[in-house]
Amino acid sequence: MIRFILERVAQLPIIVFVVSTLTFILMRLAPGDPALILLTAHNVPASGEALTALRNELGLNEPLHIQYVNWLRDVFTGHWGTSYVSKESVLNELWSRLPATVELALAGFAVMAVLTLGMGLAASLKVSGPLDRLGRLFALLGSSIPSFWLGFLLIYLFSVRLGWLPSMGREDWSHLVLPALTLGAGLGTVQARVLRAQMLELSDRNFVKAARARGFSRMHILFFEIFKHAVLPMITLLGTNLSFMLAGNVIVETIFSWPGLGKYFIDAITQRDYPVIQGYVMFAAFLIVGVQCLVDVVQTVIDPRLRLR
Amino acid sequence: MIGNRNRRSWFICTGLLLLMAVMTLSGCGAATKTEDSSGKGENTSAQQTQADKKLVMAYTWKPSGVDPHGDNSWDVMRSGAGETLIRLNEKLEPVAWLAKEWKHDSPNVWSFSVQDKVTFHNGKSMDAVSVKASLLRSIEKSHLAKDLLDVKSIDVTGPLTLKITTNQPNAALVSNLADPSTIVLDVASMKDEQSYPAMTGAFKIKAFNKDQSLVVERYDGYWGEKARLAEATMKFITDGNSRLMALQSGEVDVATDIPVDNAEVLKKNDKLQVLSAPSLRTHMIVYNMESPVFKDATNRKVVDSLIPRASIVSAVMRGFGTEASSPFPSILPFGKIERKALDGTTEQLLTKDGWQKDAQGTWTKQGKPFEVTLLTFPQRPELSVMAEVIQSQLLNEGIQVKIRKVENIDEALTKNDWDFAMYSMLTAHTGEPQYFMDMFYSSTSEANVSRYASKPLENILHSLKLAKDTAQRNAVTLQALDIINTDLPQSFIVHPDNVFGVKKGVKGFTPHPIEYYYITAQSDIAE
Repeated sequence: MIRFILERVAQLPIIVFVVSTLTFILMRLAPGDPALILLTAHNVPASGEALTALRNELGLNEPLHIQYVNWLRDVFTGHWGTSYVSKESVLNELWSRLPATVELALAGFAVMAVLTLGMGLAASLKVSGPLDRLGRLFALLGSSIPSFWLGFLLIYLFSVRLGWLPSMGREDWSHLVLPALTLGAGLGTVQARVLRAQMLELSDRNFVKAARARGFSRMHILFFEIFKHAVLPMITLLGTNLSFMLAGNVIVETIFSWPGLGKYFIDAITQRDYPVIQGYVMFAAFLIVGVQCLVDVVQTVIDPRLRLR
Repeated sequence: MIGNRNRRSWFICTGLLLLMAVMTLSGCGAATKTEDSSGKGENTSAQQTQADKKLVMAYTWKPSGVDPHGDNSWDVMRSGAGETLIRLNEKLEPVAWLAKEWKHDSPNVWSFSVQDKVTFHNGKSMDAVSVKASLLRSIEKSHLAKDLLDVKSIDVTGPLTLKITTNQPNAALVSNLADPSTIVLDVASMKDEQSYPAMTGAFKIKAFNKDQSLVVERYDGYWGEKARLAEATMKFITDGNSRLMALQSGEVDVATDIPVDNAEVLKKNDKLQVLSAPSLRTHMIVYNMESPVFKDATNRKVVDSLIPRASIVSAVMRGFGTEASSPFPSILPFGKIERKALDGTTEQLLTKDGWQKDAQGTWTKQGKPFEVTLLTFPQRPELSVMAEVIQSQLLNEGIQVKIRKVENIDEALTKNDWDFAMYSMLTAHTGEPQYFMDMFYSSTSEANVSRYASKPLENILHSLKLAKDTAQRNAVTLQALDIINTDLPQSFIVHPDNVFGVKKGVKGFTPHPIEYYYITAQSDIAE
């Protein structure tokens, strides 16, 4: 296990190098002059003298290869540069927003996990039963309603019409309910169908028939024979979705004015805040690798045979 | 059968998952606590008493900090915490604020005396020395302040008097001192990282929660009329629909920059009202003066005459705007001008210029059709709709327009593969025409997106810098606008309104063409 984790850690510098190089190249290919955007933030024209001074200040007048070397040096010495907009350390800026994103991602993940497990298990109890049909309907809705639309529907119902929950911001637990539902509901209802399919496929296997022959109860077979085997591939799926939630909550964060990384990233793109964009991509790469590593560990804990592969 | 060890592992994993879910939901309250205790979701304005009246505003922009000499000066000014030497009144005339009076000693020299009995939010008194230090800091930190003031030196001539010498004659100096980048603060307070900037406004900063809100509270030592509100919160909600819903749900009392499409929804709500004010922004078309088609003034004039401005105001802007005839709206004394009429019909002008209609009804010249590329961009959606309206109108008259949407309009305009483009600018952000005209029409300026060069206009702009009084400045500006409207490097389409959604019961919130004064000492809410 330790060797496995060390191997993953050893891959990190390579991932960092590839991701940073690609981000740097793509950002420089994208149109937009950060100095111009900064100086004309309120659509007031900027003078050429001010533009030149700011470009010099931001190091944008340096040749590209020098900018790249400076960036790489910063990355590997742990500085990650300074935001053009806030003039603060990119790493500090990202760290300060990480708790909000993690909080929302975990809450969304919890919603997704509860829906996946609850609806998946319920639907697999009786094929084409009422719960199965209800699950199919929810899965259809979950896969066809875009998250921004679901978010606005929830706000309209629970904030505007009923006045039960706040529509935006991050203050107490009540502010988390609607964004977490928006984030987790769609994925959860769809994944419940995947779990159901897995459960049904496994229910015809010999080890299940053997358990029935030994006289185990229906619930015992469902939870300790079928579900145990069905959950393994689900963990990969859940892990991938957790990575997605951690790294890409942009739409939900925007709708609910949630002060997390995704929203910050979009603002940085709009403002061509290169150090922040580059830093965020690196940060997201670390998060995704970390979560995938965690998924692998959890899988080997559940199924020790995987350690031998 | 499951082995005991495997079963234990399975239980541990499932248990951890559930524990994580429970911890997430129960622990978020503690994790999300901010410095601001005021910004509860529910606005309890109905129970508020005189002593603790609080107003919550949904605000479009998201400042990265509260340094008024950085890029966030507008946000700080709008919160009611910052003040400048000069203020602009409803007619956009410069009036005294922290400055008591001023005198134009010579084209390059101005004398100012500042108010006495003014204290910063940390209790220190404001005097000429502190004002000088603040102005020098604003020039050092803000490129806009440096350009606007063009200061050579500032001399303290008495406890409450100072003399400002500019590098060149700068008759717009007084108005330019209303720009938020020149907010007066106690420079020493900026060295203390634990405190917020000490300014002089009716409110002082109580909490700044990055990406979330700026909270200000009444400053009891204020030198003028005390604030009626105990506290005001600006919540940063960048999405227009989310701002609208926050207003409808009662979480906020005022929402800024309501999309015009949503204004109708608000009008139907009897608890809310829609307020609007003419802005100092102009939606326009900029012509590429190096384009093979539009380097010819006749073609620009023909296109200009075909723009259906009235339809655009009513259908695209839903009435929240006025037709434009110059870069400056008519609320400004130098904005009241007539658009020049075409010398003949479109047919006559184009035929005289060598164009003729082909069998399909398209104008052609030397075998080439009148076909032009119009750029537009997504950040101001109404401009793309306008572009389509204009395309349709020009097509009816035999002019083919290809619309190209670009992500970054300023970047696209630096290239040469366009003929004309939708554009939008704040043209008189201090009530003064000079800065915009210098930047937008000078042949050497990078902001001159049309690449327009006119020696007579540049001579007039130079004389504008020397003009001594308002009447003279207005007259000179009108001369400049006459040249611009003759040469037509741009077609001015509409001056959009600023639209606000306001809960009934909110008082003292007056939409103002200058977008700096949102929360003021007069802002109030019904008890």
